[in-house]
Formats: sequence, structure tokens, C-alpha cells
Amino acid sequence: MPRSLRYFITYLLLILLALFMMGPFLWLLSVSLMPGRNVFANPPAILPTFIAFDNYVQVWNFMNFPRYILNTVIITLLGVVFNIILSCLTAYPLAAFRFKGRNLVFTLLISTMIIPSATAMIVHYLTIQAFQLGNTFFGVVLPAAVSVFNIFLMRQTFLGIPADIRDSGKMDGASELRIFIQLVMPLVKPGIAVIGLLEVMAFWNNFLWPIVVLDDPEKYPLAAALTYLNGQFSYNFGWIAAGTMISVLPIILVFLFTQKYYMEGIAGAIKG
Amino acid sequence: MYKGFRSESFTAWAFMAPGLLFLAVFTFWPIIYGVPLSLTNYSVIAETNYVGLDNFTRAFQDHNFLISLWNSLVYVLIVPVIQIISILMAILVNSRIPGVKMFRAAYYIPVVTSMVAVALIWSWLLGNNGVVNYLLLKAGMISEQVSWLSTSSTALYVLMFITMWKGLGYYMMLYLAGLQGIPADLYEAARVDGAGPLRLIVHVTLPLLRPHILFCTLISVMGAIRVFDEVYILTKGGPGTSTLTSSVYIFQKGLEQFNFGYASALGLIVSVMVGALSVLVFRLNRKGGVNSY
Repeated sequence: MPRSLRYFITYLLLILLALFMMGPFLWLLSVSLMPGRNVFANPPAILPTFIAFDNYVQVWNFMNFPRYILNTVIITLLGVVFNIILSCLTAYPLAAFRFKGRNLVFTLLISTMIIPSATAMIVHYLTIQAFQLGNTFFGVVLPAAVSVFNIFLMRQTFLGIPADIRDSGKMDGASELRIFIQLVMPLVKPGIAVIGLLEVMAFWNNFLWPIVVLDDPEKYPLAAALTYLNGQFSYNFGWIAAGTMISVLPIILVFLFTQKYYMEGIAGAIKG
Repeated sequence: MYKGFRSESFTAWAFMAPGLLFLAVFTFWPIIYGVPLSLTNYSVIAETNYVGLDNFTRAFQDHNFLISLWNSLVYVLIVPVIQIISILMAILVNSRIPGVKMFRAAYYIPVVTSMVAVALIWSWLLGNNGVVNYLLLKAGMISEQVSWLSTSSTALYVLMFITMWKGLGYYMMLYLAGLQGIPADLYEAARVDGAGPLRLIVHVTLPLLRPHILFCTLISVMGAIRVFDEVYILTKGGPGTSTLTSSVYIFQKGLEQFNFGYASALGLIVSVMVGALSVLVFRLNRKGGVNSY
């Protein structure tokens, strides 16, 4: 097959697939820019006849977006910080230390991966109530403060650090904690970036647990607020489309700017 | 020497203590506490009593629960088929042509977007007067509008489609990593031996991707058992019980009707089934050579 024909076929397939994967988002963007149109008109509105940002302005004024964005940012930051600190601390000894009980910890960690989350959610609910953390951001974040997956990912990263580094630190009389913070942690920045990104996505997109924990809709993060908006104004498509765009754009931008790290990290996960 | 070992052991546990504490409360405790909870009638309405195995006998006579198990099973059997499409996608985006990285990113965007947004978009696209019906009618593939999400016979498959659509990019990326780890000389050698493109895929690519295929199948099976968000947002199990999956049913019993005891029993039954399934897949995995520690 001549090279140019192969190029042509490859690009054709790539573009068709891109329409399939991106089409729904582009259409959402298009709906969000059509003021006062019904998406269920017949024939359905696919492309806007004129572009206006009315929907964005109206939904922004109607819903307290700054509040929801702030809620989401707080929840996401808390979640990311907890996950980075806790999974690094837990993974480091599993990679670098020899100690009794190491295999026990491993077995325990692996065994947790088979539990369905709906089951755990019931006990989480009771636990959060018992700690009096209902209706708080900590109640939203703590059940996901550390994940086994992140621990495994960080352990993988720590395994790549030569043992000499720890030895040389010891020779200089540094404490284990100092070795960890000053010598080891700077070397695993890519790994930290990966779990950080994974958790940014997870916490930003989380909608169900926040609804369960938070009684006060004013405390909802964006994704939860969006389901609320959809329930209240299911007939006002333009608004909901604009609101949805506002909620997904930040995460798509974060992804586009960090995709190199992100994709390497995802790929690294499989090497076990 | 012994003393050194002991102090190293102490330091190790000190490092792990905060993380393990959180895991103990939010990962191990739900597993442990679920058992006694499942033997009670704990709920918000009545006094809590020990009821023995009542919840379990009730579960196996609960028509809706059995239907939810069946729906989950259908999900588990069908959704992993996604792997075939993802591998083809990965082969496609592994081509070294200008702009291919842009396409990779585009295919990944559904993965990073929230299920709330994805579900919302598809619910509109799939509406009676929606774009999907319009396009299919124009193309002559259907003769009248279909209410995709409110027809019992189609709703579950539509949800599966959305689950797969959102997951395609994730698996594609894992396979892409696998493809890029295959040494180019292997293809060269096979080509010298006269292998065509199809034989290259069947005899070089697929065998070398085997660990990735097993890993991805495992994740997609687990994901299919757990499937919740898309069902909860779009159909809440309906119409009737046609899309009721076990996670949604447990959630309804536990956190909507506050029957904590009964819901825990249901959760326990599903956990045992998932456990058995995982052991099976892990066995396969070990043969495939994925190092799962």
C-alpha cells in the first residue's frame, strides 16, 4: 500500500473516532451557546445559528457558582494533600525497609481491592456520623484520604530509588524522617504528580458521596450541584449545558496541560 | 545486628501508622463491621435486634435482589468486550504520524470528565427527539423513534454503551503503553519471515500484550460489578427493574431506605461473589505473568 494512501486511511479513522469520542462534548458546547433553544426540537438543534453567552451569564447569576467552585477546590485540595502524604508515608517502608510484618501488610492491602464500594459506603456513613463529621468537608474527604492503588503506585516509584541514597544519609547521621523528606521525596516528584492528578480528577468529579454526607446543598461541590440543577431545571437545557461546561472545563484543562505526566503514570500502573 | 533490625522495624511501622490508621477505619472496618451489621435489623425506624441469618434468607427470596444480581452479571459479561475496541484504538494511535498525540488526548477526555456530565449529555442525545434518533432515522437504521433509556429492553444496553464509551480511552492508554514496550526488532524479524499486518497483530502484538489484556480485563470486570454512577443518574434502576444493578439496589436499601442491616447482608453476598471472581481472575493473571506482588 502506498504511503500516502495509508496516511489517508489512518487520518480518516482517527477523525471518525474523534467525532465519536469528542462529538458529544462539542454538541454540548454548541447547545450551551444557543440561547432559548430546545434541544428536543424537531429536527434537533445541532449547530447554533448564532452564538451567544446568555446561558452562561444567566446560569452563573442564578446558581452560586463561585461558592460551588470554592467548595470543589477545598474538597479537592484536602483530598489531594491527604492522599499524597499518607500514600508516600505508607509506601516508603514497603519499598525501602526490611521488617517483620511486611508481607502481612501486603496481603491486607491486596485483599481490600475486592470489596464493592456500595457496601463500604453504608459503614462509612455510620462512621462519619459517629465521628460527628456529617455535613463537613472532612466527612467528604476522609473515607478516600488514602487509597491502596496510590500506595502501590508510590511503592513502585520508591523501588526505583537506589538504596545508596538512604545509606549515605545515614552515614551523615540524618534521621530516617529527614532522609525521607530531604533526600528521597525530591526524587519521586513525578510519582507524586501522578497520584496528585489522579486524585484531582477523582475528587473533582465525585458527586454521590458528597450528596450522602452533606445535608446542606450550599456545601455541594460542582458535580453534585449539577445533578441538583438538572433536577430543578430539567427543561432549561441551555442553562444546564452551560453549567455542565463550566464544571468540566477546568478538569479538561488540567488534563490537557499535564497529560504527559498523567499518561506516563497510568502506563506505569500496570507494571505492578 | 538484631537491634538494628528491630529499630528499622519500629521506624517502618511509625511511617506507615497514619496511612494504616486511615485504612483501618475506612477500608478494613467496613469489611469487619459489615458482618455483625448484617445479622441485625439495624435501621432508623425500629429498635435494633439480632436477627440471625434472616437477612440472608430474605435476600435469596428477594426478587429484586436476584434481578439486580442478574443485571450485574450481564454487565460483567458484556462490558469487558470493550478490550477489543480499545486494543484496535491503541494500534491506531500508535502510528507515528503528525498530530497523533492530539487524537490520543481527545480520546481520553471522556475518562477525565465527571460521570454526571457524561450521563447528562448522553441522556439528551438519546432522548426521543434527540440527536441519536434523528441520525439513525436519517440513516434509515430505525423506522421510528426509540426511547432508549425508558424502554426495558434497551435501557441496560444503553447504560453499558455509556460505561464503555467513557472507559475506552483509559484502556487504550494502557494498551498503548504496552505496545510501546514491544521491541521493534520483533516486528522486523516477523516481517522478514513474511508475516503480513494481520499476522503481525495475531502472532506478535497480542501475545506480548497478554499481561495488559489480563490486567485491563480484571479492572473492567471489577468496574462492571461496581457500576453505579451512570445507572443512578440516568435510570435509578428503571424502567421497572430492567437496569437495577446490585450496587444500586444495595444503595437504595442502605442509604435511601436506611435498612442498614439488610443492605449489609446484600453487600456481603455480593462481596463473597466478587471475591470468588477475583481469585479466579488472579489465577489467570499469575499464568499470564502480571506481577501482582
